[in-house]
Amino acid sequence: MRSLAVLLLLAFCAGCTVKAIGDPNRPITINAHITIDIKGLEKTASGIEDFVSGGAANK
Amino acid sequence: MKKIIMAVLLTGLLSTAAFAQTYDIKEMTPAVKAALESRKSRFSELKALKAQGVVGENNHGYVQALSGGSDAKALVAAENKDRKFVYQAILEQNGLDAGALETVEMVFGKVQRGKASSGEKVQDENGNWRSSQ
Repeated sequence: MRSLAVLLLLAFCAGCTVKAIGDPNRPITINAHITIDIKGLEKTASGIEDFVSGGAANK
Repeated sequence: MKKIIMAVLLTGLLSTAAFAQTYDIKEMTPAVKAALESRKSRFSELKALKAQGVVGENNHGYVQALSGGSDAKALVAAENKDRKFVYQAILEQNGLDAGALETVEMVFGKVQRGKASSGEKVQDENGNWRSSQ
C-alpha cells in the first residue's frame, strides 16, 4: 500500500507543471537539459529529403 | 525496497514516454513551404553537380562546392540558405533552443550521406571526404 502511494506521488510529480510566482520584471530562467530524440529526428529528416527529391530516394 | 525501486523505474518510464516527442514541420508556413519548394526545384541541377563531383554533402547537413565556378557556388549558397531556414523552423516549431541547431544539422548530414548515390562526394563524421558507395 505504501509503495502504491509512492508510485502515485511520483507519477503525479512526473506529470505536473511547474509554475513560478514572482516579479514579472525579473523572470526566472530555468535551464533544462533537453535530450533530442535522434532517431525521431532522422525519420523527419529522411521524410523531408524524400519530399525534396520528389518522393523517390536520392539513390 | 524492491517495490519502491520498481515504482521509481516505472515512473521514469512513464515520464520519458510523456516527454518523448516527434520532431517535425508542425506548421507548413508559407516561408517553410517556399524553402522546401525552392529546394525541390533545384534538386535535379544539384544532383547533376553532385554526380560530377563538383558539389558534395558535408557532415553538417549542407552542400559544399568542392570545385566549379560561380554558378555552382551560387546554387550551393541558395540551397544552404533554404536548408538552414528549414532546420531553424524545426527548432522553433518543436521548442528546441538554438543550441540544438548543431544536432539537427548533424542528423540531416547523416541522412544525406545515407541517401547519396554511388560516387557522390560525402564528408564522413571525421571530416574526411569520400565517394559514396
